[in-house]
Amino acid sequence: MRAADSSSWRHALLYISPYTFAAIGIAISIGVSVLGASWGIYVTGSSLIGAAIKAPRITSKNLISVIFCEAVAIYGVIVAIILQTKLESVTRDYQHTAESMRAGYSIFASGIIVGFANLVCGICVGVIGSSCALSDAQNSTLFVKILVIEIFGSALGLFGVIVGIIMSAQATWPKAT
Amino acid sequence: KFAIASVFMWTAPLLILQAYKRDLLPGFSSLSPEVQTIVCGLLAVVSVNVVIAFYILSAMREPPTSTEPKPDPEFVSRARASVEAL
Repeated sequence: MRAADSSSWRHALLYISPYTFAAIGIAISIGVSVLGASWGIYVTGSSLIGAAIKAPRITSKNLISVIFCEAVAIYGVIVAIILQTKLESVTRDYQHTAESMRAGYSIFASGIIVGFANLVCGICVGVIGSSCALSDAQNSTLFVKILVIEIFGSALGLFGVIVGIIMSAQATWPKAT
Repeated sequence: KFAIASVFMWTAPLLILQAYKRDLLPGFSSLSPEVQTIVCGLLAVVSVNVVIAFYILSAMREPPTSTEPKPDPEFVSRARASVEAL
């Protein structure tokens, strides 16, 4: 092995602690999910408030869109709590074994999956919710049809959460023998 | 109603996750750790969706309100007159 390999990028990446990856994954799962949820809520909320000036009847039904966006944030919280319970301490000797690295990468990947799926889901539901409020104000028969589209949009976040949970289920750390 | 639904949406999954942590869920300890994680996570997600479904049902059942503002008739007649003058 060349002497330069010990200072290569590959060496640096491989020797980052798996706990770093796990912690970043947990942060991304909650942080980016809340980003998506808040984006959706402000897009929907501003349209809803504007449309409700002339048509106050739309307020109670169109809060469903805000509820969908909030659910996106809750999915991020659920997965962050599950990932946090998966963190276990291992001794220094076992920190860079294959099983530890696998656990760290699983938690990291799970956080990225959930975070970014919820980000796009929140934006999607927010934009659809905004259109729903504006069209409901004009014609109340359109509400149910647009709600169906919103339900499909919300399912995108669910796909990410399910895959993230399955991914995190196999995060096991080595036991000291 | 929105506030109550929000509170339930937050507390239901957190209660399920706490029950899983404290081994309060019956029959859980017989499952492998991977299956426990998956089942607990899916239960929490399903509880959120159940709350959403209840909120949608209750919102759709609300009677329609007739509180829409009516335009001022004098304003409407003046506006119509100005359009016809064009």
